[in-house]
Amino acid sequence: MKTNFLKLSLLALVVFVTSCSKDDDAKSVAPVTTKTFSNLFAPQTGGQGQPVGGAFTKFSFSENAIVTNDNWDIAFRGTTIIVNGGDEIGITDEPLRTGVGAISTVSNTFAGVTLFPDAATFVQDGPSIYAIPTGSGNGWYDYNGATNIISPRAGKVFVVKTHDGKYAKFEILSYYQNAPATPDATSPTRYFTFNFAYQPNSTTTF
Amino acid sequence: MILNKNVCIALVLFTTVSFAQQKQVKDSIEINQLDEVKITTATRTERLLSSVPLPITVITSETIARSGITRLNEILNEQTGIILIPDESGFEGFQMQGLDAAYTMVLIDGVPLVGRTSGVLDLSRVSVGNIERIEIVKGASSALYGSEAMGGVINVITKKPNKDEISGSISYRYATFNTNDINTNILWKKKKFAANLFSNYFSSDGFDLDKSTPLKNTERFYNSTIQPKFYYDFSEKLKLTVSNRFFHQYQLNAALINNAIYKGDAEEKEWNSQVKLEHKWNSKIESEYELYATNYKNDSFLNDQNNIIYDQAYYDQWLLRPEMRTTISLKNDKITTGIGMNHETLDRTYFDENVTFNSKYVFVQYDYNPTKKINVLAGFRYDNHSEYASQLSPKLAINYKFNTAFSLKASVGYGYKAPDFRQLFFDFTNPQVGYTVLGYNIAEDRLNQLEAENQILLRYPGISFNKPLEAESAVNFNFGGFYKKNKFKIDANLFYNSISNLIETQAVAQKTNGQNIFSYFNISEIFTYGLEFNSTYNFTKELSMSVGYQYLTAKDKSVIDNFQEYQYIRNDQLQTVKINKSDYFGLFNRSKHTANFKVLYTIPKLKTDINLRVFYRSKYGLFDTNSNKILDEYDKFVKEYVITNLSVSKHIQEKITLQVGANNLLNFKNPDQIANLSGRQLYARLQYNF
Repeated sequence: MKTNFLKLSLLALVVFVTSCSKDDDAKSVAPVTTKTFSNLFAPQTGGQGQPVGGAFTKFSFSENAIVTNDNWDIAFRGTTIIVNGGDEIGITDEPLRTGVGAISTVSNTFAGVTLFPDAATFVQDGPSIYAIPTGSGNGWYDYNGATNIISPRAGKVFVVKTHDGKYAKFEILSYYQNAPATPDATSPTRYFTFNFAYQPNSTTTF
Repeated sequence: MILNKNVCIALVLFTTVSFAQQKQVKDSIEINQLDEVKITTATRTERLLSSVPLPITVITSETIARSGITRLNEILNEQTGIILIPDESGFEGFQMQGLDAAYTMVLIDGVPLVGRTSGVLDLSRVSVGNIERIEIVKGASSALYGSEAMGGVINVITKKPNKDEISGSISYRYATFNTNDINTNILWKKKKFAANLFSNYFSSDGFDLDKSTPLKNTERFYNSTIQPKFYYDFSEKLKLTVSNRFFHQYQLNAALINNAIYKGDAEEKEWNSQVKLEHKWNSKIESEYELYATNYKNDSFLNDQNNIIYDQAYYDQWLLRPEMRTTISLKNDKITTGIGMNHETLDRTYFDENVTFNSKYVFVQYDYNPTKKINVLAGFRYDNHSEYASQLSPKLAINYKFNTAFSLKASVGYGYKAPDFRQLFFDFTNPQVGYTVLGYNIAEDRLNQLEAENQILLRYPGISFNKPLEAESAVNFNFGGFYKKNKFKIDANLFYNSISNLIETQAVAQKTNGQNIFSYFNISEIFTYGLEFNSTYNFTKELSMSVGYQYLTAKDKSVIDNFQEYQYIRNDQLQTVKINKSDYFGLFNRSKHTANFKVLYTIPKLKTDINLRVFYRSKYGLFDTNSNKILDEYDKFVKEYVITNLSVSKHIQEKITLQVGANNLLNFKNPDQIANLSGRQLYARLQYNF
């Protein structure tokens, strides 16, 4: 009897697990496609001791394009990246945040991020708080003082809750124009190339 | 042009060699002699090499003469387990047991050389023209030598007059790149008084691997060395030695700044003086009183194209070291004690003021021989220092001699390297980029000062300078042995070093210009382990071959413990890829395999020696090239390579030696990755002994 019960429970469990995953498959209509956006130019004024300013370059994942309206998800200026959610950080020329955006930083390969991270790991901008921290080794890049090269940190994937509550993931590949494999000090800078995938459906996976 | 000229000289000399008279040459196979070599570095008393329980290499004057080499760095580079290589900052130093050059002490006649750049001593400063032998003790040797001897000790012993006569040698060597080397060495002794004068002049046009760039790899330089020494025996019981060394080098200084060539001079001066009194109290007690003073100075400048001074740098280091050693001989045993102090000062560019280190030390060593087969060395040294915590460095070693053909030895020791002046007192801001590096001891005050001047944006949390910076320290194990049978001989050693408190830079604050301020902290723990062996086979009296090999693994413990922080790399297509822990290659600039193969062939009829040496170094990596901060199998490596050196020496009568040869005979070059490797150098040398 005991054995039979165990077997039955196992069977039930298997059926349950299988059906669950079937349900999931059914929900995700189509797998997300990974796209690459190249040479998003994010200039800034000032720097090197002078106050930093200038308009942020705003990007929408659903449109796969730079936008000028309030439907942006993330925005770039120099090495700074902000999100359309939360409060003003308190830096000059900050765009208005009208969305519910937030960012969770995950250590993984881009393809390896399939599940949405725990809601508690998402961070919004706020007074003196960056959803993606600034500075070398803190957020998305490492800076080499000897060569003056900014390298995107390998294995840092940012999962973004978009301005309208959908999800996207992105990974920065290069900060230099046309994404050279080995940029040098003369390579034109502040050109972001990144991989991203946008999940338009209501689900919890990419 | 130069090459052609050399080829001609070489051909002429080869011809001379071939048709020369037939006479006997005394055959001297290096390893055979080593058994009888008496050495002093390992114990500070005279000991037979074969009985010392530590891993030791001895380079004899015959080996140096046969190799045709002129500078200390080059001859060291031909030894198994010593690898001469520029570090990331371009300074050429040597590794021993996987430890960098900063961790090896270099002595001339028992007293240390000073004047390190980024921790590295430039050993091309030392001419080999008057060297009797070089003793290399591998593994932590702080128990006798204190700081810097964490990875080992290299002691250069110079020639000494020992017969009542005038003797000496004079030689001239010409080589590729218009390299000139002139040596004279005069040794004189008459009863109680003896003297020795060595002088060397060395000059070279330098070399240039890429003619399309305006800078050379090595700029033109010349240097001279003078070493006068005096000996006076007051009696059998009281002997005085006064030895001095003067070195002066001038080198062209050139740099490319904003695509313009700036030129200037770089001058180096070294002076040292040692006064030693040996006193035999009785048949059992002997003392040595030694006073050593040395000064290393360099001055350099660069002028812009309008001949206006653009940059100036200076470095002025002094060391004063009185030391007293006493050896008490018991029945079969010896007790050696020493007491001394170091007074060290440094004044250099980027230091706020002249800084001073003072330390006092005492050491004791017990050389214990319970039976004829067993030798035990036990000792410790205690250093009390003005700038960092006191250090106690113990060491224990044992040798078991089964018979004259087979012995085993094991040792364990502690070594340390004190934080250097730079790590404590540096105050440097890069003029082009704007980052700042601050020595640990001055960092707090300077940060507060910069903060008051509104130059600091934020200070990173968790940084504190309350506890003093600690010395880097190593625990070192060696286990090895010696075996010989008939014509075969082998020496092998397994080593393990565990190094903690390695000092590295870390960002402490961000400036308003966006750049970081760095200071020095005790960060990493690394370990190195490996196997080293040297074997020789004497086919005949005329022909011997030897093979040397080192296997090395050197890794950072924190990388292994926290591999998840390093497991993602960026590939050629800039995509992130996950790698495995087993892909971690180890520390930068370390080859797993290094090997050498040496042949010595003597033709007695022609009084000619042919000495061929081949050196192999397996691949190594200098930088992380895929964004995970460590060296892994997917990084770009410097490819394995082979260097071949050949020398042919011909003795004419008893007094004249002619030598021709080629270093890097096969002309291996890797200009992009190995900037210090010049390509083939041919040379010819004439020496007259009297």
